[in-house]
Amino acid sequence: MLDRNGQRLLTAAFGLVLLAIPFVVHDSYYLHLFVVAAIFVIVAVGLDLIVGYVGQLSLAHAAFFGLGAYISALLSLRLQWSMWIGLPAAALFTGLVAFLLGLVILRTRGHRFIIITVAFAELMKLVATNWVDVTRGFMGLPGLKIPNLYVPGIGAVDISSKERFYYVVLAAAVIAFLLCRTMVRSSIGRAFVLVRENEGLAESLGISAFRYCMIAFVVGAALAGGAGSLYAHYVGFVSPDLFNFSYVTIMLIMVILGGKGTLIGPALGAVIFTFLPELLREASHWRMIIFALILIVTTLFMPRGIIFPLLEHVVPKRWRARHVDAS
Amino acid sequence: MRAQTLFRIVVAHFAISWFALAGAQEPVRIGVVQPLTGPVAYDGNIYVNTVKMIVDGMNAKGGVLGRPIQLVIEDGACNPAQSVNAAEKLVVRDKVVALLGAFCSTSTAATMEVAKKYKVPLITGISTAAQLTEQGNPYFFRAVATTPMLGDAFGGALPTAVKAKRFAFLVLNDDWGRSMVASYPKAIQKAGGEIVATEYFLQSELQFLSHITKIKASNPDAIILAANTQQAVGLTKQIRELGITVPLIGEGSWTSDSYLKLAGPTSEGVYGLVEYLYTIKSPINDAFVKDFRAKLNENPSKFAGAAHNAINIVVDAIKRAGTTDPEKIREALKTTDYNGIVGNIKFDDKNQAYGQTVYLGLVKNGVPEVVTTAQIAKP
Amino acid sequence: MVILGQHLFNGLLIGCAYALIAIGLTMIFGVMNIANFAHGEFYMLGGFVAYYLVSLVGFNYFLALPTAVVLVVVLAIILQHSIFRRLRDAPLMTTTLVTIGLSIFLEHSALMLWGPQPQSIPNPFPTKPLSFFGIYTTPLYIFSMAVTAALIVVGHLLIRRTRMGKAMRATFQNKEASALVGIRIDRIYMYTFAFGAALAAAAGAVLGGFIPVEPTAGGIITLKAFIVVILGGLGSFVGAIVGGILLGIAEALGAGYMPAGWKDAIGFFAVILVLLLRPEGLFKRA
Repeated sequence: MLDRNGQRLLTAAFGLVLLAIPFVVHDSYYLHLFVVAAIFVIVAVGLDLIVGYVGQLSLAHAAFFGLGAYISALLSLRLQWSMWIGLPAAALFTGLVAFLLGLVILRTRGHRFIIITVAFAELMKLVATNWVDVTRGFMGLPGLKIPNLYVPGIGAVDISSKERFYYVVLAAAVIAFLLCRTMVRSSIGRAFVLVRENEGLAESLGISAFRYCMIAFVVGAALAGGAGSLYAHYVGFVSPDLFNFSYVTIMLIMVILGGKGTLIGPALGAVIFTFLPELLREASHWRMIIFALILIVTTLFMPRGIIFPLLEHVVPKRWRARHVDAS
Repeated sequence: MRAQTLFRIVVAHFAISWFALAGAQEPVRIGVVQPLTGPVAYDGNIYVNTVKMIVDGMNAKGGVLGRPIQLVIEDGACNPAQSVNAAEKLVVRDKVVALLGAFCSTSTAATMEVAKKYKVPLITGISTAAQLTEQGNPYFFRAVATTPMLGDAFGGALPTAVKAKRFAFLVLNDDWGRSMVASYPKAIQKAGGEIVATEYFLQSELQFLSHITKIKASNPDAIILAANTQQAVGLTKQIRELGITVPLIGEGSWTSDSYLKLAGPTSEGVYGLVEYLYTIKSPINDAFVKDFRAKLNENPSKFAGAAHNAINIVVDAIKRAGTTDPEKIREALKTTDYNGIVGNIKFDDKNQAYGQTVYLGLVKNGVPEVVTTAQIAKP
Repeated sequence: MVILGQHLFNGLLIGCAYALIAIGLTMIFGVMNIANFAHGEFYMLGGFVAYYLVSLVGFNYFLALPTAVVLVVVLAIILQHSIFRRLRDAPLMTTTLVTIGLSIFLEHSALMLWGPQPQSIPNPFPTKPLSFFGIYTTPLYIFSMAVTAALIVVGHLLIRRTRMGKAMRATFQNKEASALVGIRIDRIYMYTFAFGAALAAAAGAVLGGFIPVEPTAGGIITLKAFIVVILGGLGSFVGAIVGGILLGIAEALGAGYMPAGWKDAIGFFAVILVLLLRPEGLFKRA
């Protein structure tokens, strides 16, 4: 592993690259992808807490994303609350819903848990589609805008261009990542891993699996909700399609293929799997078939995901088992 | 042949063709966002194939402004988010000068914003939900009558035409269906009819037994529907299977060849509220129908008619503008005075078409005959 | 009153299909300990293969149905042999992700091969509705219900009376012990998976006459099947039957007396309720 200075250098270099992107990339389309990728980084690291660290396969994550998007959209359109309030509101509300859901389902394990998360997601989709008076159902909620940023001294700054909004989502992604990383490196994180590896042992040590699963679940959901809010305002439009199963699949692919339980892996997975589908745009159905095959093969033969084994191949001696928790 | 010689020949070929291309004319790119997949894929593909057929004909005659027309087609899937993405790509990457789309009213509503953002005109020949032209978007043009216009045109005639007093609605739960429910009752009630039930179904449904049973319970004399081919067929069959024999009156693809073929004998006696029927008798339409049958092997449905109008109006505007500047094209569109397969089309200040004829059709022996027509007055 | 009867009949028709599909899923659960997210795709494939056999190849309708089932079973066996055999003792997350991947693979392959257009299987039944006591149905609906009911009975007999069925139940109850007494677990897995796929495919083929099959149908079918399995109890054959019929009727009644779009929510609410009050489901593992 690189020593501390080496690490700092690498992080700084990486950070500079990220900051420089809007200056280097001028193609509006690719900038768009960078923005979306950053939003999905938030989703992916949150999901990694649940799937990678605590080890629960939740298929409800896209529902939390969509829920955050809808809450933010409704607050914006009905109450004229700007995104700056809508975002934390969406995150909090989603976290609350996750908490309530968790109370009901986090005591189950195994297949039942997975299926309940699916049922919940479908329920969200049904509500979004049928509660037409509030959500306008299939017609969706259009007309969302990115608000101005009020900087003391300068006044209102328009951040709605792709270049500028990129910095906003980049900051959000970094914050989300650091939040997760802090949690994971603390005693909470250790508890997560213990619950995942040996629930019985954890319980006997007084570590409540329920409690830690709940923490991961709520935090992950809140992050997804916040990301949903950003996405809604950026895209300008919200519809029940956000609850399609395909979103869950892509999120899982990002986390699993990126390397669950590593945070960095899913973050990189989010970027890769935002760009990859678009680059394969022409292929349409082939694209999903390829992804499905990748998912199956990776799950069967590469439990640590694709990224790390690949990197290790490329950089063998330097990459020591820092990520012991992976898999 | 030695590899080196072959290589030199290939390089020479490329060099020559590169020069040739550089000298060739830059095509006029027109973007098309239509559902190529999804619940209305069938009709979406008909639209796209019609546009392609017409553009091929135009290019054979030299294209427009002396340049070939190039269609760039993207799949909107009748899904607002996807339609928006498709439109963005067409405008930003493909640099189209005008857009045709996006079929479903809800998708068109979302795509309109893209048109406005990038200042590229968008024309729809299909989306009929009323509020699309009420939003004051100067880049959106609607080349077809709205649902309320159809309602005003024929609503009053329905009670007499189908000999019914009690009407039930069985419509798609989106901008289109809801627009129907909001606008038709007035004219129907004025003519002495009443509305006894309203049921909404989703785009994804294929089995309507519960909805139909509920409608049956209200005992209607006629059912008014809004659906496109895939669902229209299922609805027709299942309604008859549940023993309901009253007349069906539909907005959507209830007279198209695909519907007639798939619904078979159950389509007999179905009424269609349409903006085009292939049985219209006029020189322009006769030529179109002949061409269509030869190239696409079926009779043109209202979606083909819509495509015919849309692409012709856009190309006409480009001609009159004399340039491919989207802003000038937009201005030329506003002064459209076009004569096509359904008569004369002009746009009012809200870019809503008026002046064309609309039709109430009835399926008799597998052929949609015209029962009565109306002309859309200036709103 | 008649309308209520009609709703009940509609519900029973759909409910029998739910039951048939759920039986296979619950057996796969119980014996192989796999949550088969690709189950709905077997339903879809059954329908599509039957459709193409009739419309393209020109098979007789009544011959096409079982042929379609056989073809889907062959596919299931191939899948079992190549993929699921490796997953015999794999953790839950692994098997679930694999079945999810499989589901996507099958769905999009179908989309690519056959396009998105829903298709009704052409059938020789007259379309004129029949009515009894004011309730309307067609010969096709009656045929569908009869076949699904018959298949449920056949499935029951297979499990209860045959040696294979007994071996399945033994594996279900205690895998190690069964292996010890010489039951070939790999064989049992194959039969169970094939059995499940067969029932789902049969349901798809039979219903495809009046509910058009489309490549994306698998997803919602899998979901409904899971709901029934949870309601009835993981691994309970009887639970799958009772749960399926109850769900079908509940949905039809729900759709009949409240805005129909919400009818799918009934299943989800029922699942949450069951989870709160009686997590093992209505029936214990059979």
